[in-house]
Amino acid sequence: MLEGNADVAALAKRAPRLESFEAEPLALPSVEILQVTYELGGRPPESLFPPALAPTLPVLAVLSVWRSADSPLGPFALAQLRLTCRSGVRPRQLLAASFADGDRARAALNERFAFGARPAAIRLERFYDRVDARVEADGRPLLDVRALGPLPLATGDLQFFSSMHPAETPKGLRLVQVDADLAITRAERASPHVSHFEPDAFGVPGAKLAYPVAAFVALGDVTLPRVRFVCRPDVNAFAGTERVG
Amino acid sequence: MRFGIFYELSVPRPFAPGVERSVYENALEQVRLADELGFDSVWAVEHHFLEEYSHCSAPELFLTACAMQTKRIRVGHGAVVCVPAMNHPVRIAERAAVLDILSGGRLELGTARSSTWTELAGFEIDPDTTKQTWDETIRALPRMWTEERFSWRGTSFSVPERAILPKPVQKPHPPLWVTVTSPGTELDAAERGIGCLGVAAASFKEQERRTGEYRRRIQSCTPIGAVNSQVATLNFLYCSEDPAEAARTGLGMLGLFTQANTQLLFTREAYPTRAYGSLANLAPAPARREGSPGDPSGIPEGMAIGDPDRIVRAIKEWESIGVDGVNFLLNAMEAIPQEKVLASLRLFAREVMPKFRKRENG
Repeated sequence: MLEGNADVAALAKRAPRLESFEAEPLALPSVEILQVTYELGGRPPESLFPPALAPTLPVLAVLSVWRSADSPLGPFALAQLRLTCRSGVRPRQLLAASFADGDRARAALNERFAFGARPAAIRLERFYDRVDARVEADGRPLLDVRALGPLPLATGDLQFFSSMHPAETPKGLRLVQVDADLAITRAERASPHVSHFEPDAFGVPGAKLAYPVAAFVALGDVTLPRVRFVCRPDVNAFAGTERVG
Repeated sequence: MRFGIFYELSVPRPFAPGVERSVYENALEQVRLADELGFDSVWAVEHHFLEEYSHCSAPELFLTACAMQTKRIRVGHGAVVCVPAMNHPVRIAERAAVLDILSGGRLELGTARSSTWTELAGFEIDPDTTKQTWDETIRALPRMWTEERFSWRGTSFSVPERAILPKPVQKPHPPLWVTVTSPGTELDAAERGIGCLGVAAASFKEQERRTGEYRRRIQSCTPIGAVNSQVATLNFLYCSEDPAEAARTGLGMLGLFTQANTQLLFTREAYPTRAYGSLANLAPAPARREGSPGDPSGIPEGMAIGDPDRIVRAIKEWESIGVDGVNFLLNAMEAIPQEKVLASLRLFAREVMPKFRKRENG
């Protein structure tokens, strides 16, 4: 079986601090979502994950951009790269990197859910025939993606999976499981197109977006609930998963 | 009750030279023994690119070897992926007919449409279209086997008038099946008058529901060819006189199969579509402890793992809900040494099989 063999010490270096597992849930109404998925190449799959996780074969790079205009923390946008994997036998996505605009929201996402989001300018624009997203940090473009030709899909046709966020927690270095609950009210599938992607900035140096899979755009209410599970990154998830909530 | 053996041909890492050959040779030895012992069928899947989980990309070749080394056991090509980008329908009909000839009329043909993104994308197949191409292919197959000259103008393929050669030995044609992983496919099988080949470990309750639906619907089917009204389910077999050893060894195999299976990237996880309604995970459902606290073995419900008495009880349960046959995975990732696999087969044939043969004969 292929299991992750990424250096846990390197993971620790990029892990944000999560002071407590007691953070209140965060409810975000009417979030606009763009998700673009590619097969990830250029790196051995096992090198992308700590020993707690196992890669899917192939690993998918899940690039998602949320725009929340009505957040209780003020309007903000969040861009993430997550990588498909397994924790034990369960489907999960490892958060590789994230960016957010809106200082209050970014601080809350980092402090309460260990997003480790860095500041960036994030644009999400809807056109008749496409949805565009662009992420820039320090005046440098990091991501430019498009979802072309969106066509309606049933909301139940979208699947979402829990994320694993590396963090320094009261229990030490852990993967924090974030079980975002998405109540989707509108869904459309589209063709994915990425014109610019900086793998270093997104935490996957040497990787490339190798093969387009799918894109979707959606609208829905997102709730980030209280953290319930964490996992030691250095041992198999069967042995290292702990309940905290 | 019919008993079959079922191969994914999983290969554990590291992929050292000779390891794949060893897996194939072990499987062939098991098939020869199963033939001698009176097992009814040997099935081999078609999978592509599924590292470790299944290195069985050319099952028709493996099954030809099986047919050449056995006398009686039926060969189940199960299932061939009925998507033209992977297997043109004419090639399916031709290869199946040759296998039927070489085996002396022992072919069973399972059909499927593939459930992983890994495989579909590897052949640049649009997941939205696979159900349609499967349907079109299986409707064409009986005609290709039975008509002197065949022509077809369809959505996923077209053929000008041609003689599809050779013709199978079995008349009118070999039995057709469809693999059932997600709920609802049993209705597809029933409506077309083809067999229901379970390839995902199902609970008694789920299998009972499927079988009941299937039996009801097939009464009013519009057959695409000769009706095959059999229902078979998938199971794992490890039989040992020592229940503790059986549980330890069998559960080890089950655990490795489950891990390898969950590493697959199912279409539903990668691609938003209504064409794939579930993740189609083939692993057994989380272990529902049978009759706790009396059975602390941890063996999931219905699994043919244990001593002969326990396995007889499990199979009687399958029989009682209307299943016609059980196909067994004998090993996974070579977790069980070959001599133990062979011993398990022998013990099953000696202690379990007669309980069901006697019932049929008597």
